[in-house]
Parts: sequence; structure tokens; C-alpha cells
Amino acid sequence: MFIFAHRKTLGLLDGEYGSVFKGRSLDFDELRAYTPGDEVRDIDWKATARHGAPLVKRYVAVRRQTVLLVADTGRNMAALAASGECKRDIAVQVLGVLGYLAHRHGDVVGLVHGDAAGSRSVPARSGEDHLERLLQDVHRGTVLDGGPSSIEHQFDYVLRNFTRRMLLVVVADEVLPDAAMELQLRRLQARHEVLWFTVHDTELANRADADAVEVADGSGIPEAVSADPAVRAAYRQAMLEREHRRQELFRRLGIAEGGAGSSAQVLPELFALLARHRSRRRAASRGQRHAG
Amino acid sequence: MELTFWWVLPLAAAAAVLVHWLAGRRTGGTHARPVAHSERLTTLPEYRRALRRHRRWLATAVVSGFLLLAATALAAARPAERSTTQPELRNRDIVLCLDVSGSMASTDAAITGVFEKLAREFDGERIGMVMFDSRAVQLFPLTDDYDYIAGELGAARRAFDDGGDGFFSGTWGGRGSSLIGDGLAGCLRSFTESDSSLGGNGAAERSRSVILATDNYVSGAPIFTLEQAAQLAKPKNVKIHALNPGDLDYGEDRDQPGARLRAVAEGSGGSYFAPDSPEAVPAIVQQVQESEATAYRGAAQLIVSDRPEAPLLAALLAGAVFLAAGWRLER
Repeated sequence: MFIFAHRKTLGLLDGEYGSVFKGRSLDFDELRAYTPGDEVRDIDWKATARHGAPLVKRYVAVRRQTVLLVADTGRNMAALAASGECKRDIAVQVLGVLGYLAHRHGDVVGLVHGDAAGSRSVPARSGEDHLERLLQDVHRGTVLDGGPSSIEHQFDYVLRNFTRRMLLVVVADEVLPDAAMELQLRRLQARHEVLWFTVHDTELANRADADAVEVADGSGIPEAVSADPAVRAAYRQAMLEREHRRQELFRRLGIAEGGAGSSAQVLPELFALLARHRSRRRAASRGQRHAG
Repeated sequence: MELTFWWVLPLAAAAAVLVHWLAGRRTGGTHARPVAHSERLTTLPEYRRALRRHRRWLATAVVSGFLLLAATALAAARPAERSTTQPELRNRDIVLCLDVSGSMASTDAAITGVFEKLAREFDGERIGMVMFDSRAVQLFPLTDDYDYIAGELGAARRAFDDGGDGFFSGTWGGRGSSLIGDGLAGCLRSFTESDSSLGGNGAAERSRSVILATDNYVSGAPIFTLEQAAQLAKPKNVKIHALNPGDLDYGEDRDQPGARLRAVAEGSGGSYFAPDSPEAVPAIVQQVQESEATAYRGAAQLIVSDRPEAPLLAALLAGAVFLAAGWRLER
């Protein structure tokens, strides 16, 4: 399972490595047995016919891809996720799985994280130790008394400091991007490739054993009020509309979006997101062919 | 209105502050669920409405709880009403001392008529009656049997009105007639000696007065002169109120009968009246009654009565509201 890049590299030197970005090269490496999850079009049909069982072509990846993880480590991410876990733990798991995939693929992984007070970045590097360090940074940086969350600051930081084409994976919570953030995302999407993984926030209008407190400003939500049937019905309706608007926005921007509300959901949802990303790439390339 | 245990209030206030402080410290430690993007919920109008309702009930609960505490603390402090009353002492003894010589008949009738009426309203007073002419006859001794008194006074009044000689026959046969001094001495015998000598405190002592109706015209040789009889009144502490319907004194001479009667009456602490007609008698008797009443008011008494009704009623109402609010909040 690879993280796919949709477009060919733009740099002069990247010219001959156009396919490398897809995780392949022209240099044929070996044939190996097909395992479920492999691209069907990677199957070497002639070799398969000779061999009697599906065989897949493998290429040597000549150029490594840069994966930039963009994580919100403001105090929003120290709040509860839909499953009742801390959102930070789910985010760390998502980042870990992504980083591990990239590492296995030979890509270098960098990190930009922070809150409204400022952004911190870790330069892209390879290796499991490096990945461990990234995850530790995120895990330690996300605390309830940290700075307020503002993923816009991290986007701004990326826009200002990273001009080279990269694969951007945003791990944030259920932010509803406003017009300014939509513009940022549009610019990011033009320069890089953006995937968005949402850590779903906790359900607000339900029966719980304690009152809720908003981490941004400390205002409380009494359980007695949020459990009111009329409030719950209105909340469900509002959440449906909000989710619809979010999906609409990501669709408009061409950003693949996925999300999980619990750590158990992370793996399947992440793979589903990567599959969506890949299929979107194919749709895009088909569109390009039609245009050409 | 005052508080018997006023110190309960500062104690209750201190306890309330302490509990508030402890509760505040405890809630500081309880966990709340940290959530993000609460605007997903808090911007909903339904949520705002529900929150306002919730806050109203909370405020109701807080206010009623505070009122409940305050009212019960107030009730525990025992609000009491302190009032002073001067109980009117109704332990008077009145002896009607009536000269039944012919000239006095209409006045005597008026006096007995007045007391006949008064006897129906008396409560605690004792009345006795003595008639005298040349001898003193006790019609009835000091008693508080008012029906009996009224009956006797009624009979006496009819006798005075009719001039029924048989009624007064016991008053004749002495040496002379209208022996005022002897009559008064006889009247004073109606009071027992023992009260003042045995009587311990002054409050238990009964006030004593004689209403002496006479014109003070003596014909004969009395054993006691008026002044000597008045001396008997002194140790028994008897006031003599004199009614003289026939004040016919010539000049200011102190030996004139009216003047002597006045001297005796005022000397005993009583009063002297000279009514022109029997119609004036009820007013005079009333006056004597009232002067006696004011003179014999009891010592001021302090009455402290608990008045917990208002705070307890407030506590009941506040408690009911508090329960309702609590039920609504816990639902």
C-alpha cells in the first residue's frame, strides 16, 4: 500500500522521474506474487500467463517522495474524540500509520505542528527513529493547557516555508474551514498534494456522566441541557448539515478526506482514504487524457 | 419582634459560608469532559433556549435554597414578640355603706341601682353591703357571688324606692338615729383584719374601698365619732369615698358636717362627692370605679411569645419551590 502522488513533478531535475512519484520507476526490479491490495494494472499479464498465478511487477523507486505531516497540536486535540478517547491518541495513531507506510516505501517524512501561538517543524528525514521522534513531539505537544488550536497558522507556515512539491497529510479535528482557510487549502492544493484526515469530535448532545467544558474558552455545557430531547434532535440535524458542508468543501477543493472517531477505526478508514485518493488520481488522469 | 437565640444567625451564616467554600473546593477537582468545537451545539437556538430555561431553574433553586436556609435559621433563632402588659387587678373589695335615714332614700336607690348593674360585669371584685341608721346591719358580706349580689341589691333598691319599712327595721332601735360614726365602724368591720397582717406581698393584697353615702347629720350619741371610725380605716388601708347628697354646710367652717365628711374621705385617700341629684350618682360611681381601676393596675409584666409562623411558612414555601426546582433539574 503506497501513498500515491497525482501529478508529475514540476522541477527540471524531476523530469525523468515522473513515474517515480507514483512509487514506481522505469527500472524493473523483480516480479513477485500478487497479494490482495496490489494494483490490478501492476499485474504482469504475460508473466502471469506463463507462471499460472498472478505476478506483479516491482520497480525500484529512484526518487524518494517527501511526506509532510501537518498536525494540529493545540488544546483542541487534547479534547475527547467520538469514542471518548483523547483525540491526540487517535491523531498520533494516524500519523504513526502514515509515517510507517511512508517509511516502508522509502519516503522521507517531515512534520509541521503547533497551535495559534506558533508552528514548529521537524525537517523531513527517513528512519523509524525519526518517525518516533515526530510522534513524541505531537504526543507531548498536545495538552489541555496548551495554546488554542488554529490549523490556519500551520497552513500559513507551510505556505511560507515549503515551496517544493510534497505530499501533505493534514490531521485535524472537525474544523469547518471558512473562506480564508478555503483559500489557503486551494493554494496548498495547487502547490502540493493534500490529504485530510479528520479525528471526529465527541458527540455533544447525548447523555453523559459529566458536564462538558469547551477547551477553547473554558465555557461549560451542562449535561442536563445537552441531554434535552429537543436539543439532541436539533443537534443531530445541525451536525448532518455541517458534515455535508464539509464534504462539499473538500470535494470542491479536490482534497481526499477521511476520518475516524476511535482508534479502532483508524486503520480501515486510513486505507479507505488512500484508496479514495488513488481513485481520484485515476479520475484526474482520465480527465487529463480527455482534455489532451 | 426580636430573636431569642440571635447567635444562631451568625452561626448559620458561618456554616453556609463554610459549606459553600468546601463545595467550591470539591467541584474544582471533579472532572468535566473536555470537548472542542462546542459551537456545534452552543450556537443552536434550541440549545440556547434550553440553557436559559436551565439557568432559570438553577437560579430558582439557588434562591429558594437560600431562602429555605435563611428562614429555617431565622426560625431556629426563635423570633419572639416582647410586649409589656399592665394587667388590671380585679381583686377589689367594695363595701357599700348606706345611710338609710329618710333623707338618703333616693341616693341609696341610685347607688344600689348602679351596683346592681355593675355586678353583672364584675369579675373578681367582691362587694358587700351594710345599711345603717342607728345600728349597722350587714345586708350581705363581701362576696363574689354576683347573682346573689344582684338579687340582694335589687331587693334593696326596691325597698329604697318603696320606702319598705320592714326592710330597714334592723337598723333602728339604737340610741338616736343616723349614727354615722357607728355605721362607718360597722362597715369597716366587713373587712377582715387578717389580710394586711397575714398578706405577704402587695400584689396579692386586695384594694379596699368603702362607698359611704350619708349626709353626715348625726342625731344621737354615737359610740364612734366619724373621725374615730375613720381611724379604724387606716390600719386596714381602706379608702372611703363619700357621697353627700345633702351638702348643706353653712360657710367654710370645718365643723360643718359636709366639711368633716370631706376631711375624713380625703384623709383616707378617697374622694368626696356632693351630687345635686340622684341622677348624678351613676357618673360618680363610674368615676370612683375608674379611679380605683387606674390606681390598682398591676405591675407591668413582660410577655415574651414565640412568633415562628412567618419564617416557618416562608421555609415551607421555599422548601416546596426548592424541591420542585431540584426535581426539574435532576430530570
